[in-house]
Amino acid sequence: MSSPGGPGGALSTRGGPKRNKWALELSLGSTRSRGDRQNKEGDVMYPVGYSDKPVPDTSVQETDRNLVEKRCWDVALGPLKQIPMNLFIMYMSGNTISIFPIMMVCMMAWRPIQALMSMSATFKLLESSSQQWLQGLVYLIGNLLGSALAIYKCQSMGLLPTHSSDWLAFIEPPQRLEIMGGGMVL
Amino acid sequence: MGWSLATLFVSLRLLCFTAAVFEDQVGKFDWRQQFVGEVRFAVFDTNSQASKKLLVATEKNIFASINSRTGDLLWRHVDKTGPEGHIDMLLLHGQDALVVVGNGRILRSWETTIGGLNWETVLDTGSFQSAAFIGVQDLVKYVAVLKKSALSLHYLSNGHQKWVENLPESNTVQYQIVYSGGSGQVLLLGVVPNSHIVIVEYNIEDGEIMRQKSVAAPWITSLQSSCVVVGSGVLLCADLTTQSMYTFSLQSVEQTNMNQILLQTLGLEVASGFQPVLISTQPHPARPPLSEFVLQLGPDHHILLQLNDELISPLRDFNPSFLVAFATTGEKTVTAVMSPKNTTACSINLYSADTGRRLLDTTIIYHKDPNGGRPAKLYVHAFLKKDDSVGYRVMVQNEDLVLSFLQQPGRVVWTREEALADVVTMEMVDLPLTGTQAELEGEFGKKADGLLAMVLKRLSSQLIVLQAWLGHLWKLFYDARKPRSQVKNEVTIETLSRDEFNLQKMMVMVTASGKLFGIDSKSGTILWSQYLENVQPNSVFKLMVQRTTAHFPHPPQCTLLIKDKNTGLASLNVFNPIFGKKSHIGVPALSRPVLQSLLLPLMDQDYAKVLLLIDDQYKVTAFPSTKNVLQQLQEMASSIFFYLVDSNQGRLSGFRLRKDLSTELIWEVVVPVETQKIVGVKGKRANEHVHSQGRVMGDRSVLYKYLNPNLLAVVTESTDTHQEHSFVGIFLIDGVTGRIVHEAVQRKARGPVHFVHSENWVVYVYWNTKSRRNEFSVLELFEGMELYNSTVFSSLDRPQPPQVLQQSYIFPSPISTLEATLTEKGITSRHLLVGLPSGAILSLPKMFLDPRRPEVASEQSREENLIPYSPEIPIRTEWFINYNQSVSRVKGIYTSPSGLESTCLVVAYGLDLYQTRVYPSKQFDVLKDDYDYVLISSVLLGLFFATMISKRLAEVKLLNRAWR
Repeated sequence: MSSPGGPGGALSTRGGPKRNKWALELSLGSTRSRGDRQNKEGDVMYPVGYSDKPVPDTSVQETDRNLVEKRCWDVALGPLKQIPMNLFIMYMSGNTISIFPIMMVCMMAWRPIQALMSMSATFKLLESSSQQWLQGLVYLIGNLLGSALAIYKCQSMGLLPTHSSDWLAFIEPPQRLEIMGGGMVL
Repeated sequence: MGWSLATLFVSLRLLCFTAAVFEDQVGKFDWRQQFVGEVRFAVFDTNSQASKKLLVATEKNIFASINSRTGDLLWRHVDKTGPEGHIDMLLLHGQDALVVVGNGRILRSWETTIGGLNWETVLDTGSFQSAAFIGVQDLVKYVAVLKKSALSLHYLSNGHQKWVENLPESNTVQYQIVYSGGSGQVLLLGVVPNSHIVIVEYNIEDGEIMRQKSVAAPWITSLQSSCVVVGSGVLLCADLTTQSMYTFSLQSVEQTNMNQILLQTLGLEVASGFQPVLISTQPHPARPPLSEFVLQLGPDHHILLQLNDELISPLRDFNPSFLVAFATTGEKTVTAVMSPKNTTACSINLYSADTGRRLLDTTIIYHKDPNGGRPAKLYVHAFLKKDDSVGYRVMVQNEDLVLSFLQQPGRVVWTREEALADVVTMEMVDLPLTGTQAELEGEFGKKADGLLAMVLKRLSSQLIVLQAWLGHLWKLFYDARKPRSQVKNEVTIETLSRDEFNLQKMMVMVTASGKLFGIDSKSGTILWSQYLENVQPNSVFKLMVQRTTAHFPHPPQCTLLIKDKNTGLASLNVFNPIFGKKSHIGVPALSRPVLQSLLLPLMDQDYAKVLLLIDDQYKVTAFPSTKNVLQQLQEMASSIFFYLVDSNQGRLSGFRLRKDLSTELIWEVVVPVETQKIVGVKGKRANEHVHSQGRVMGDRSVLYKYLNPNLLAVVTESTDTHQEHSFVGIFLIDGVTGRIVHEAVQRKARGPVHFVHSENWVVYVYWNTKSRRNEFSVLELFEGMELYNSTVFSSLDRPQPPQVLQQSYIFPSPISTLEATLTEKGITSRHLLVGLPSGAILSLPKMFLDPRRPEVASEQSREENLIPYSPEIPIRTEWFINYNQSVSRVKGIYTSPSGLESTCLVVAYGLDLYQTRVYPSKQFDVLKDDYDYVLISSVLLGLFFATMISKRLAEVKLLNRAWR
């Protein structure tokens, strides 16, 4: 909340034996804090040479670059690594239609889709890597595989309208061309 | 998704096996009315002053007791239908009622207070003639039953036979009257037509013939109704041809000829062609009859006469008078006479029988129903008042079988519509919308006339709706202040309106007596009735709804076709089914006998469906026959077909309409009448919808149904009824082309066959003569895995025959009628409604009658929810939709869809009426009756407030944290 080194604003009363509950000073001086509770912090004097902003470390070392590369590959391979886990869950949940398998399938389908939607953000993450495009491709493939797996699961659960029976409800009754009636002779 | 929905639906269907009602639901959606039919004998129990029993025996073979204060049935015994259960005689003595049943087959004694059987004896064979109490010295100890050739005497106490005697010369003499004056002898009167009367006297103790005598009477044809015994044993006869009365003393030894008394000498004249009728009364069976009697001289003319020493003197002339009846209370005997007062009312007066003097203050005014028939029978219940004067109540039966019970000075205590015991056909018609709804509906019906006008119209109609709603609220508020008992929820014609889900409908019922009824399906109240006069007893009725209530402001219209079987001529009655008013629309004159009628889906400019009537020359008359209709008919002529089934000649023939409204024969199928007889033909119901065009198989492919709207199911029975050779045949014939789609013969089977034809299946029930059991058989037709043409159906273009599957099952009960449920869109699974002779109505899921039920359950059949085949169909008592409200002699079940897809309205008719609702797939579209609204709304409210409070708390907390 408080920004000790920030530009000044209205400042409350200074410390002293007598403390007002609050005070307003309209002049724009070197005032900083807003509440009297912040006074103590506001009163802290920074040492010489202290800077608010961190100084960037400009000396990039080779080991760090490897680390970044590794980190980026981790990100890229994440979806692929999940596939065995997903397969296991798929196997465990079975093909019956009940609330838990449906939730599993939804999760499985939603996660790759979500990942694909936030592709640009992931690319930003991978920006620093040299193999950015390759990693991006791997990430994409991983996610696509994940969603394919979800679709396969849907298929094996019978949730995909791939059979003629799934469209049965939409078949209109045929229109009759002849009018017929009659019965036993009265 | 489709698959999961289907699975969900199937699992819903699996849940639907239980269909019983809860105890608190009894009578909530259903009602039953019990009837007895046309009264044949009615006796008032006059033993005690407070007695309120009225015993009736009816043409429907029913012996019942009616509470004379309320008109409710105290108890009822339903005997066999037909001549076997026919009630020949009803005699009441004290607490015991004696009934002779089945043309003298059985003699029964009933205890009248609770309707228990005292005893029953099987009588010797022979056609029944008469029965009478035999009294000795003021005590009635025996009952005599006269058969064609034998006379038997039974003890009243236990029914044991005292003696039985063969009658002398019974092959020539017709014995018709048995009489006892209480003096220890049994007199038997017989007649040889146009020759003489035979009198035989039996000894009461051993049945020995004491005396035998014959009296010449060349004018006589029959003793019944023209001869009575009056006074102390005087036989009195009236004859039309000689215009005279004859008396003969039964006791006298010397008299050999009858005394002739010319009616002219009494100043009387019989109406031309009217057979005079004599009415006498015997107040106590152990005492001789009164010497006063009534002679009916014409249809509206009666006269009270007195016999005094072989002289007849008139006491009082009742002219005009419709009906006359005697009644006795204490020592007094009175005559009640119904005479016309004015065009709308009759008056009933009481006259002292021994003097003919009118008793003061005894007039009952009987108001005739303008839509009813004439009074036909009069039953009088006389009683002594505290001041020793005679008071009385009467029961009047009209030609239209209305029983009205009246008391002085004309208050109708109760009425019973006994015509409803014989409903022939019925329809259910939607009720009209309320005025405001109709206003809104009417807006859409009108032609558009400019944007502004439309907006204004919409605003005004919305205003009207708002006004009506406010009025409704005000009424609710107003009624809420009144005590519950004062708020009447009576249904009247004025307050009739369709409810939200169209669950309340108007039942239009046609009865065999020619009376039409409009009954509210929710409460069973008769809202209107109309008696059609001159309807012959064996007429055929066909009721059609030409215009429903959907076409405001045109009134709904029903047409009843009545065909007289004797002349073959038919007449059309057009009426409004909601108000029962006869319509003024001109009906076509039908000069030729009508063979059949056909209601087309075509409509005239007033939205009335076109009715075609086919006469015996196969010419067609259209009704209505406006220019518009004729033009439409000409355009459509080539696609209008009809079929006729002549059961006598075993011929089925199909016709096509020509442009000039003549017809051409296009096909004919002849079933040889020597071997089999066509017993029934059924097409599909016009208002049936099939939602699903196929069945989903276990492998998720589709087996398409063969939904031929022109398919007819024809059932034949063999003429040979020997159990080895009898068979039942079923033919499925296309009504347009005459092609026999399928035929099946069930060997060693016998009728009566009940069958239902719906969707792509036919279910029929027959009696298996070999195994001696009732069997259900189901035929189901499928088109295959491919649809031939999914857009249009034409019978003329069907190259492939359908696949037919069949399976049979054992049903552990005989059945009396069969019908299938029907719903609005046909999504709900179907049930079969089976009327059982026990009075129960069974709702049998169609799932049990499925020819695809596998013998061994496989993975795929399980997936399809097919029950493995088992030959027996169970009857579970929770499937009885009428729980313990037995419906006697169910003749037909009518099903009608309601506005809710889950709900089907059911009316069972026969002797009783029963209306209920069935939910074949449970009520999936309605919250349950016991739905906990309080809990749900309190939880919702609680959650709402919890959110509000926690939101506020969160805000405070955030603020506090911000202050920190």
